[in-house]
Amino acid sequence: MSEIPSPPSRIPEQVRRLGVVAVLMAGGFIVVRTWAISPEYKDTSLQKSEAVEREKAKPVHYAGAAACTECHEDQCGEQQLGKHRNLSCGTCHGALQKHVDDPLNEANRPYAPRERDFCPQCHAYDPARPTGFPQINPAIHNPLKPCISCHKPHAPEPPETPQECSACHAEIARTKMVSPHALLECTTCHTTLEEHKTTPRGAKPSRPTTREFCGTCHNKGTAEKSAPKVDLATHEVKYLCWQCHYPHSP
Amino acid sequence: MKEELVQRLAELAPKVEGFIYPNEVEIHWSILIVVYPYVTGLVAGAFILASLVKVFKVKELQPTYRLSLLTALSFLLIATLPLLLHLGRPERCFEIFLTPNPTSAMAMFGFVYAWYLMAVLLLEIWFEYRPDMIRMSQTKPFPWNWLYRALSLFSSDVSERARAFDAKALKAITVIGIPSAFLLHGYVGFIFGSVKANPWWSSVLMPIVFLFSAIVSGIAMVMLLYMIITPLRGKPIEIACVDRVASYLFYAVIVDFSLEALDFIHRLYESEESIGILSTMVTSRLFVSLLVMQVLLGMVVPLGIMVVIKLSKMNDELRKLLYFTAAILIQMGIFSTRWNIVIGGQLFSKSFLGLTAYKMEIMGIEGLLTALVLLALPFVILVVLLKLLPAWPGDEAASSAPPPPPVSDAGPAPAIAPAV
Repeated sequence: MSEIPSPPSRIPEQVRRLGVVAVLMAGGFIVVRTWAISPEYKDTSLQKSEAVEREKAKPVHYAGAAACTECHEDQCGEQQLGKHRNLSCGTCHGALQKHVDDPLNEANRPYAPRERDFCPQCHAYDPARPTGFPQINPAIHNPLKPCISCHKPHAPEPPETPQECSACHAEIARTKMVSPHALLECTTCHTTLEEHKTTPRGAKPSRPTTREFCGTCHNKGTAEKSAPKVDLATHEVKYLCWQCHYPHSP
Repeated sequence: MKEELVQRLAELAPKVEGFIYPNEVEIHWSILIVVYPYVTGLVAGAFILASLVKVFKVKELQPTYRLSLLTALSFLLIATLPLLLHLGRPERCFEIFLTPNPTSAMAMFGFVYAWYLMAVLLLEIWFEYRPDMIRMSQTKPFPWNWLYRALSLFSSDVSERARAFDAKALKAITVIGIPSAFLLHGYVGFIFGSVKANPWWSSVLMPIVFLFSAIVSGIAMVMLLYMIITPLRGKPIEIACVDRVASYLFYAVIVDFSLEALDFIHRLYESEESIGILSTMVTSRLFVSLLVMQVLLGMVVPLGIMVVIKLSKMNDELRKLLYFTAAILIQMGIFSTRWNIVIGGQLFSKSFLGLTAYKMEIMGIEGLLTALVLLALPFVILVVLLKLLPAWPGDEAASSAPPPPPVSDAGPAPAIAPAV
């Protein structure tokens, strides 16, 4: 016991020395954490409020739809009732704050899309878009005509209720036009309710469900002379006709 | 920047097979993230080997005890570098400690790492070397004596009682150290295993597999280092020690191999919807790195070598050569394991319909050169550590010219060492 350095202590020397290091490190942590780190790094509510201040200081580019109502009451009223009511004015017209600040300055005149490729950004056919969302194929939907010549962008409705099937089903109409079925009316095979023209997916047209339907012209022994004949009793009895023959271009 | 990106993607595009989402074409966790678990694994494995001496009292391993500790420390010191370089703002890492986020596993790793470094490894090394450092602070010339004095925290007590306390403390630290080493490397597996969206990673076995492959790689690394350094010191390799290390290595490889096999069989039997793309990946993109390098060269061949050594009586020289070969193959195998986990997990599309390829940079911050430098750095650190803290007491005595004077146990050391 006489080997213990003076003054004799019950705590081993190693522990005391390591204790000093530990206390220094803990003290360093507390000092740095308390005084050296600015409060916004530690307090989440401060972080949030500072972030709000920081964002508020940035220049405003978009005026918001409410600002437009003050001068453009007619267009805004029309837009609020139409299918585009969930869009903000800036969606099509771009950032409008400069125009709101100085409406008479021609340099701040808002952008008004007239090009044909603008509307298809949302309305071109894309299988990922939700069912029922109006979509067209820009290549065949009235080519070269600006969209606004038929559709009012603030209240976009079809200019008139389509009378012909080809208005919407142009691709089918064109296929059928050059096929042996060209002379048949669409209604020969499809029964279509009037509602289909206004809510296309709400009232779907019928389609032939039996072999006998095609058989009225194509079965052996029927009166229609121009139609190719098969014997329905023996010709691929397990299948419906349209499973092998595309009716719009048979 | 955009053009660079387009060019990179254009280079990769021809290598993409099947359908893949646009953000999956380029791999973001590069070779640096492969180096990271490899290095942490070596730390954990080396420490486990050291603990065999202190806790399980395996006397034959004594020559590797200090070497294991220093190896663990030199690898641990660079373990975080790959991550910090990959993240790109290494100077901000202290914020992890000063503003702790207990809900983030990645943020908590900082504390696991700090605990392992400060509370386990440095403490164990300090207690182990304290009497030596006190002695060297009295025998070495200026300024080395002051360095040792500072390293020993100006401690001077080398009495019997103090040494007994050192031994007790060492044992306690090692006992705490084993679960800590498991935690350190289990954590790495935990991070990968908890990525739910990735079927290649998401497995509860992941931390366990990581842990055992870590033990394998660490033991093999210490064995390699021992077999390289000892002849360089002009000393004979103690074959009893190498035999014992190899014996532990053999059992660790068997456990690791069984666990990995279990994981594969389980995946095959479970046959979740990802199994198709994973099988395609294993047999095409990962064929060389997984089936050839990891399984065949990294496990089956070393296991075969060790079985042959155990079954046949061969002379010491041949045995050493075979052990050396096995250890090198195991290192390569474990590195391939890390590669296959990290890179493999990003090669397949989450649509399970396609595969991309990894195009490694050479010079960039995420490139091959950086990885090689990071892998070489621990060995440089180890050389410095071995110079400062000799792993074999005889070396230090031989290198210091005058014989050390008797150490005074009665009081604090004199301020300046006797003139040399």
